[in-house]
Amino acid sequence: MSLKTGRSRSAAWRISLWGTLAFAVGSLAVFMFLHGFVAKDIQRRTDVWLSGEVEVLGDVAERTPKDRLYHRVVGEIAELASREVPDKPHSRGGSGSNDSVFFLQTNVDGAPTLWVGAGDGHAELDAIRGNKVKADTPFDLRVKDARIPFRVAAVPLGDGSHIYLGLSERDQLRVLRKLRVRFLLWWLLNVALGFAIVFYITRRMLTDVREITQAASRIGKSDLSKRVPTSGRNDEAGQLASTLNHMLDRIERSIQQLHTITNSLAHDLRSPLTAIRAKLEMSLTAETREREAESIVSAIDEVDRLTEILTKSLDVAEAEVDALRLHRRAIDLDAMLRVMVELYEPCMAEKGLRLQLRSAGPATVYADEALLHRVMANLFDNELKHLPAACTVSIALGVAGEYACVVLEDDGPGFASEIASSLFESRVKGDGSQGHGLGLAFVEAVIGAHSGEVMAANREEGGARLTIRLPLVGERLKTVAGGVLVAE
Amino acid sequence: MQLLLVEDEFEIQSFLKRSLAEAGYQVDAASDGATAERLAAEGKHDVLVVDLGLPDQDGIGLILRLRQLGVTAPVLILSARRSVDDRVRGLEQGGDDYLTKPFALAELLARLRNLLKRSSSASEVTRLRVLDLELDLLRREASRAGEMLSLTPQEFTLLEYLCRNPGRVVTRSMILDKVWGMRIQPDTNVVDVHIYRLRGKVDTEGRLPMIRTLRGVGYVLKDR
Repeated sequence: MSLKTGRSRSAAWRISLWGTLAFAVGSLAVFMFLHGFVAKDIQRRTDVWLSGEVEVLGDVAERTPKDRLYHRVVGEIAELASREVPDKPHSRGGSGSNDSVFFLQTNVDGAPTLWVGAGDGHAELDAIRGNKVKADTPFDLRVKDARIPFRVAAVPLGDGSHIYLGLSERDQLRVLRKLRVRFLLWWLLNVALGFAIVFYITRRMLTDVREITQAASRIGKSDLSKRVPTSGRNDEAGQLASTLNHMLDRIERSIQQLHTITNSLAHDLRSPLTAIRAKLEMSLTAETREREAESIVSAIDEVDRLTEILTKSLDVAEAEVDALRLHRRAIDLDAMLRVMVELYEPCMAEKGLRLQLRSAGPATVYADEALLHRVMANLFDNELKHLPAACTVSIALGVAGEYACVVLEDDGPGFASEIASSLFESRVKGDGSQGHGLGLAFVEAVIGAHSGEVMAANREEGGARLTIRLPLVGERLKTVAGGVLVAE
Repeated sequence: MQLLLVEDEFEIQSFLKRSLAEAGYQVDAASDGATAERLAAEGKHDVLVVDLGLPDQDGIGLILRLRQLGVTAPVLILSARRSVDDRVRGLEQGGDDYLTKPFALAELLARLRNLLKRSSSASEVTRLRVLDLELDLLRREASRAGEMLSLTPQEFTLLEYLCRNPGRVVTRSMILDKVWGMRIQPDTNVVDVHIYRLRGKVDTEGRLPMIRTLRGVGYVLKDR
């Protein structure tokens, strides 16, 4: 049960993980597109402003005579322009100097003639010199030792000098950073919330499915009259449950019909067989001559054989559809095997076979004793019929985990390769076999009905190996071992 | 011995009636539950043979009703069903027995005798004696003509079962049931080999063979 819980939780995890991942990646892509769009638009606006301002400044600089007042006039205009830049928290309350805007004029040689801005302008000048300046197009300027680049627009003047107007990209970057931070917070919140919701819903659905699965597996093993739980909701899980229940109704009806049919078939065939056998016996009791008696006795043998085939066929048919009526009680396999070996040992010895039992001590299972007897008798009969003389049959009883393990091995010819893959099917038998091919099918069906399993294989050393695993009785049941136990 | 046979199949009923009469029973036969109830109510029968598949009612229901009416005679149930249901097992534990069809007549007779013996003599014996064969059930020793036989515990149990039914046929499935406690029908000669071995020890050279084989039926321990 714990295994199943883990499996369905991991499915819920997987579904919510992938769903969330898809949502996260998609929303991230949309954001990145928007971010790029906003950044471009801000830059476009900056560029428009810069181009306009630098045009004006260039115009002023051209027209102002190059006298003593030139510096003051152009400088003040540049100062004014810098004040137009909106939202400058860094310069607020500071001196007139504004570190987010600079104005620079260079002469023909590229030497600075006028500087308005924070600092002495040397770093900016160096950066401009190192940059390939294209007139009319604003460009990014990375100034040495400054974290934030400037956006610079340039205009050449008639006298060969240049005017540069730079605007710090700080505000632009701050806006974008704010945008990113806010988006990230909302995004994380959304992703977490989305994951939680998807996980919760998926798990609830899978829990429904798991309950259905568990109930269905219990039904298959024990009681066909049980039904899977319905959640009451009309969703897919609810429909699955009701569909399963409808299916179970039909199966239960079919099984009941099968019961009726097998019972009546058994009855119908048994009555004439009884009559035949009776008549044969009656003709035998009179003073029959030796030769006639011989054929009558062999006819009786054939009737018995027919009866046995009928019995086993019906047993296998019932067992295969889980319709065997089990009368379970606690049985010590060790004691049971000892009696079986005692019963079969002389017969084996007569055929030149050795029979060995190795047991690791008592192993109690909760099973139908009569059926287990027949299973073991089937297996021993098989060995008796198929093994050549001088072979050894060994049975080992052990405990592996929660299972009792009976391993039946021989050193005979093993299973014929042509039937090795279909040993447990009814009517499968080797070419030389005289049986009716029901033995192993019956064994498998009975062990399966006890929630055990049977494995058959050829041993590497030669010979066949048949392993039967049956669930051991738990501690709780052991305390009442010997008494008749009530199934849960 | 008065016997009530409840069986609806005419062929089987007439065969059983004749065979049981030959075996020394005084047989009343009924083909349905109502007749059976009427006959059984007389209370003169020592044993009942009841087929479960009756035309008018369920055989088990009939048996239970007869018990309520105060019929205490043991019942041998004939059943065509293989998987015998719980109620039959319940009856079996109450001292009755069941046999699945088809059955050997010898088996039916043997089981009937068994039932009658069970219901009449419950007294425990400690020694069994058949001809010159003697069994001490307490010391679990067997001797023939005063000579001790060396038997394994299993062989002793088998011989004891034969000695408890001297002169009567015991079938292989009865032996498996009573000696090994198994209701199986092996299609090999497991039981025969045990009998051969036992015979090798009991019927030694020069002695009268006591364990006889009846082909297709079972074994008899001769008592005369």
